[in-house]
Amino acid sequence: MTRVATDIGGTFTDLVALDGNGKLITLKSHTTPPNFENGVLNVIEESGLPANEIEMFLHGTTTIINALTERSGAKTALITTKGFRDILEIARCNRPDLFNLVFAKPRPFVPRYLRLEVTERVATDGSIVTELVEDDVLQCVEALKKEGVESIAICFINSYINDKHEMRALEIVKAAWPEVFVTASAEVTREWREYERTSTVVLNSYVMPIASSYLDRLDAGLQADGIFGRKYVMQSNGGSTTFELARRTPINLLESGPVAGVLGSAILGGMIGEENIISMDIGGTTAKCSLIDKGQANITTEYRIERTERYAGYPVMVPVIDIVEIGNGGGSIAHVDAAGSLRVGPNSAGAKPGPVAYGLGGTEPTTTDACLVTGRLSGEYFDNPVDLDLIRAAIEEKIAKPLGISCEQAALDIIRVAESNMVNALKLISVRRGYDPREFVMVAHGGGGPMHSAALARDLMAHRVIVPNSAAVFSAWGMLMTDIRHDWIRTHICPLETTPAAEINAIWSELKTKADERMHAEGLGDNEIQYQAVVDMRYQGQEHTVPVMTVDNWEDDTGLGLVESFHQRHEHFYTFRLDGTPVEIVNFHLIALGILDKPELAKIPVLEGEEITPIGERKVLYEDGIWRDTPVYFRPDLKAGFSAAGPLLVDEKTATTVVLPGQELMVDEYGNLIIETGVKRHESSK
Amino acid sequence: MTKKLDPFTRENISQSLLAAADEMFYTWGRTSQSTIIYEVLDYACGLTDAEGHLIGQANGATMFLGAITFSAKAVLEKFGKENLKPGDMFLTNDPYTGSGTHLCDVAAVLPIFYEGELVMFAVNKGHWNEIGGTNLGSWATDTKEIFQEGLILPDIRIYDGGVFNESVKDIIAANCRTPEMTLGDLYAQTAALKTAESRILEIFDKYGRDNVIESLEYILDNGRKLALLELQKMPKGTFYAEDILDTNSNNVEDIPIKVKVTITDDTFELDYTGTGDAVFAPINCSYYGALSGARIVYQALVSPHTAANDGFYSPIKVIAPENCLFNAKKPYPVSCDWEPIQILTDVVLKAMAPAMPERVAAGHFLSIVGTIIGGIDDKTGSPFVLSEPQAGGWGAGYNKDGENGLVAICDGETYVIPVEVCEFRYPLRVEQFAFNPVSGAGEYRGGKGLIRDYRVLNSNAELTTMASRYKYPPWGFAGGKDGSPNAVTLFKADGSSAETRATWSHEPMVEGDLVRFITGGGGGYGDPLKRPVESVLRDIRDEMITIEEARQDYGVVIDEESGELDEEATRLARQ
Repeated sequence: MTRVATDIGGTFTDLVALDGNGKLITLKSHTTPPNFENGVLNVIEESGLPANEIEMFLHGTTTIINALTERSGAKTALITTKGFRDILEIARCNRPDLFNLVFAKPRPFVPRYLRLEVTERVATDGSIVTELVEDDVLQCVEALKKEGVESIAICFINSYINDKHEMRALEIVKAAWPEVFVTASAEVTREWREYERTSTVVLNSYVMPIASSYLDRLDAGLQADGIFGRKYVMQSNGGSTTFELARRTPINLLESGPVAGVLGSAILGGMIGEENIISMDIGGTTAKCSLIDKGQANITTEYRIERTERYAGYPVMVPVIDIVEIGNGGGSIAHVDAAGSLRVGPNSAGAKPGPVAYGLGGTEPTTTDACLVTGRLSGEYFDNPVDLDLIRAAIEEKIAKPLGISCEQAALDIIRVAESNMVNALKLISVRRGYDPREFVMVAHGGGGPMHSAALARDLMAHRVIVPNSAAVFSAWGMLMTDIRHDWIRTHICPLETTPAAEINAIWSELKTKADERMHAEGLGDNEIQYQAVVDMRYQGQEHTVPVMTVDNWEDDTGLGLVESFHQRHEHFYTFRLDGTPVEIVNFHLIALGILDKPELAKIPVLEGEEITPIGERKVLYEDGIWRDTPVYFRPDLKAGFSAAGPLLVDEKTATTVVLPGQELMVDEYGNLIIETGVKRHESSK
Repeated sequence: MTKKLDPFTRENISQSLLAAADEMFYTWGRTSQSTIIYEVLDYACGLTDAEGHLIGQANGATMFLGAITFSAKAVLEKFGKENLKPGDMFLTNDPYTGSGTHLCDVAAVLPIFYEGELVMFAVNKGHWNEIGGTNLGSWATDTKEIFQEGLILPDIRIYDGGVFNESVKDIIAANCRTPEMTLGDLYAQTAALKTAESRILEIFDKYGRDNVIESLEYILDNGRKLALLELQKMPKGTFYAEDILDTNSNNVEDIPIKVKVTITDDTFELDYTGTGDAVFAPINCSYYGALSGARIVYQALVSPHTAANDGFYSPIKVIAPENCLFNAKKPYPVSCDWEPIQILTDVVLKAMAPAMPERVAAGHFLSIVGTIIGGIDDKTGSPFVLSEPQAGGWGAGYNKDGENGLVAICDGETYVIPVEVCEFRYPLRVEQFAFNPVSGAGEYRGGKGLIRDYRVLNSNAELTTMASRYKYPPWGFAGGKDGSPNAVTLFKADGSSAETRATWSHEPMVEGDLVRFITGGGGGYGDPLKRPVESVLRDIRDEMITIEEARQDYGVVIDEESGELDEEATRLARQ
C-alpha cells in the first residue's frame, strides 16, 4: 500500500510517496494558481502511482496563508462585548517603526461598521456580571444579513475563562442563519488577551469559506481520480487532521508546508540518533530556521502574520511550530546601498524573471547567480542553457564596479553577505534563546540548504550537517511521517503549590473530554491516542511563561514536584531563578496525538570496497580567495559508508551540496549526506 | 594605518559590533526580573569608541537616543581617561550630567580595555523598578525638587578594578522599597555589559586592533556622510514655531515653548530661546534630556531608518538658555520629563511641517498620560500598582489619515496592557476601551484617540496621572483642523462629582469610582472640503464622524429622511 504527501509551494507542487516496498518516489510539478488542487492532481498523475493503492493522502497547502496575504477572504463581521468593538483596530498600540511619523499600523480585517456589540459581561473569575441579552444577537444577525456578510466571528471579553455567553451566541447565530459561516473564539483558542484572541477568530472566519471550498474541490478531484484512502491535511502545530475538521478551524493550517520541514528534521534526527537539531530550509525567496530541543520542536502561540521589524502584523494565537524566517534565498537580489555597502535581500527576483541565470529577462544579480560564478553551482542542471557571461556582466555592473572589486570577488562577497544574514537568523533561534549551537546538528533542506549549510554550520559552531535524501522536497517527506495532532490550551491562572489537585484535574478532564471527542471524530480508537500534558508557568508578578511537561492526572504532590523543574527551565531561558518566589500556572496545554504507523525507509546499497569516482571537477572560489579544482560527485552514485575529505561537491538534479576545505563527508545507510564541519562537538551538560 | 580594509571585512566588523550591541539588548531583556525592562522595553544598549562617540545602539523606546553617548562622556569628563582601568564600571542617573532623564533610568558604563588600552565603552540604560522617592513606582506628578524623586547616583564607580563596592550597594538597597528587585536590575544590567565586553574582545582578537579601530572610524565617518547626503535633500533656512505646555502640575499653567530651527548643508540647529523657565513641577528636563529629544526629531525628519551613531548625529546643535524648561538645573524636578521632551520634539515638527509635508504628519496627542492606580488589595492585603502609558490619536499625513490609537513619540515598541490581563491582576474592571470619536477634520482626517474606563472594585485606591495637551489640542496643518485634547475624568461612585483634570496626584478613590482616560485625536491635514465624498460617507458608515460633522466640517450633506447623500446640497456646501 502506498502513502502520498503533496506540498504546494510558490513555484512547485512537491510529491513524496512511499510505495509498499518502502521505495521513495519524489517529484515536482508546477503549482497551478488559482486552482491549486489541479497541481496536486497533476503531480499524482505524473507520479504514475496507481490510485487504488493510495491508502493515505497527506497534504500541505498555501491556500490559507494566500487568502490572508492577498486579502481574498470572505466579507467578515465581528460580534463582541459592548464597549469593545474597537479592540480589533486598537490592537496593542505599539510603534515598531520608532522614528517614522507616517507609520501605518495594521488595518483590521473587519471594518468598523461590521463590528457589532451585544450586552453581556463575564468577570475575570468567570462569574457573570451581566447576562447575555439574546435579542441583541438576533439584531446583529438581521443587520449582518442586510450587509451581505458571508462569515461571522464572535469574541467576548473574558471568554477564555467562561465561554458560556460566547457559545450561546454561536448557537443563536447558527439557528437564525444556518447558511452563514461562523466561529466563536472559544472554538479556536482559550488563551487570554482579548486583542490576540479576537484577531485569531476573525482571521479564522475570514478564511473559512475559502478553505471549505478548496478542500471540497480537492476531495472531489481525488475521488474522481479513484483515490478513496484516508485524507489528511497538515497543521501549523506539526500534526495533521482530517479534511472535515480542517474546515472548522482552517486558521490551524497557516504554516502547513514550512512546519512539515521542521517536523521532518525532528523525525530524521530520531532515525539517526540526533535529538538536538537546527532545521535550515533555504528556498527561493526566504530562509526558514527552527530549533528542535531533545526531539521536540518549539511550539508558540505568539505567531503573527506579516510581522516585520517595523510592522506589528496580525496575531494568530494558535499553536505554531516556532520558525524564524528571513528574506534570503536563492533568488534574493544583491545591491549596493546609498552608503556603499553590499546588501543581499530581502527583495527577491522570484520565479519570474528570477535570477539572471534563468534567462527570463532577470537583470538583478542574485545569490544563485553568485553561486554559478564562483563554481558552486553548475549550469547543466538548469531547465535552460545558462549564459555565464550575462551573469558576470550583471554582477560586474551592479556590484563589482560600484565597490571597485573584481567580478569574482563580488560574487564571493554576495554569498558571504547572504550567509552572514542567515547566521544572524540562526543565532536568533539558538544563542539568543539560551542554546549552545555546539550541541546541535543542522539538517539542511530546501533547494538552497545543501549549498550553504556547511558554511553556516561552521560559522554558527554546529559540528555536523545532515543533507537528507530528498532534501529539495523535504517538507512533503516530513508530512509522510506525521501523526494526527490537536492542541487544547486553556488560560486558568492558579498558584502551583497550593491549588488542590482536584481543581487541576477538573481542567485536565474537561480538556480530555474535548480531546477524546475530537480524536474519535478523526476516526481513532482509544488505543491509538496518546496524551501529553504541559503547563505554562511563571513567577508570580512576571509575565513571560515557561512550558514544563507534566502528567494529565495530578496527585497531591505533583505540583510541588514541578517547582524545581520550573526553576531549572526558567534559568535555562532567562538565566536566573527566584527561589522562594511563588510560582503560578497560567496555561494548561493538552496535546493529543493520534499515532499513525510510520513507513519503513529503504536503505541504500552499502559500499563494498569499490571505488566511487567523481563525475568531474569544477573550479570553485572559496572564502580565502583561492580557486581550487574541486571534485564533483553525483549523488545517485554514492553508497552507504562512502567518505571523502573536502573540498568537494555533490550534485543531484535539484540541489548541490558544498563541502568546504577541512570538512569531511560521509554517507549513511539511508543515503543522507553527513558533513563534519570541523567544529568540536559539545555534549550537553544538562 | 597603511593598508585599507577591504569593504567586506569592514562591513563584517561593523555588523559584528552592532550585533554585540543587539546581543547586549537581548541579554538584558532576557535576564531582567523587571517587567519594565522585559515587557515595556524601556531601555537601551549601545557602544561608543574610546572618546564616548556612539557607534551603535539598540532601543525599545525612543527616549534614550542620547543616553549612551552622554553617559559615557560624563564618566570621561569626571574621571579622566587616564584614571579608568580594566574592571571598572560606573553608574549614573544624574539628569543634570550625562544620564539625562528621570532618576528611575539608570545608566551603567563599562570601559573596555584591549591589551591595556582603552578602546571602547559598553553602555546601557534602563528604567529600574524602584529608586525610592515619594511614591511607589518612583515617579510622581507633584514633586517640587529632585530630592523628592529618589536616590541620585552621580557617576559613581560601582566596580573599582573588578571589586564591587558593597557600601554603595547597601546605600541603594536602603533607599528603595523593593531592594531585591532593584539590585536584580543592577545585576542583570551588569551581566549584559559583560556579555558585550566579551563579544567586543572576541572581535578585536579575530580582526586585530588596528582593523577594528579603523572600522569604528569608518562607522562614524560613514554616518556623517549619510547625514550630509540627507541634509542636502532637506529644505534649507530658518523655521519657527511655538506652542504651550499645559499639564497643570502643581498648578503651573501655560509654559510657552518656542523654537527656531536652522537647517544648512551641514547643521541642524534647534534654538529654544524664548521658551519659559524651569518650574517647580516635575515637567522640566535637563539639557541632556533635550539632546535626546533633539536626536529623536532629527532622526524622524532627516532619515528614520539610518542606524544611530554619533557621526550621523554630528550636525545637531541645541541651544537652550540656562535654566529654561529644557535646561533645568538642580534641584528642579524632572520626574515626568517625557512631557517636556515630547513637546520639544513636536514644536520642531510643527515648524518643519509646511516645508516637509511628506515626512511630517500633523500633531499627535503627544502626552504619555503616564498612569498609576495603586492601593491595598482587599482580597490579598498586598499592594497592587497598575503603571502604564496611554495611547492616543496620531496626525494625518499628506496622503493618509492619522493612525487610531498608537503610543506617543517618546515611546516606541511599547504595548498597552490587555483588558483581560489588567482585570486579572488588579481589582479594576475595564468598562470600555474604544475610540474617542473626536479628531481633526481634513482632506486626510486625524487619527482617533482612545477612551479607557476603569471601575474600582476595591475599597481603596489612589490615582496619579499627568496629561499635557488638555487645553491646547494637537495641531492640524495645510488647512487641516486641530485634533482634540487629552483629559482624565474621575466619576465618584456616589454621583457627587465628575471632575476632569490634566493632572491627578495621589487622589483617593473608593469602590465604584470610575476613572476615564480620554486621549486626544490627531490633527487633520489639508482642506476638509477636499476630502473625497466616498471617504466621508465611509466615515459616517463606520461612525468615525457624525452626520452633523459631515455637514459642518466636510460640506457633505445627508438627507435626514432618506439617509442618502444630498448631492446638490453637498455641491453647494463644498463650493
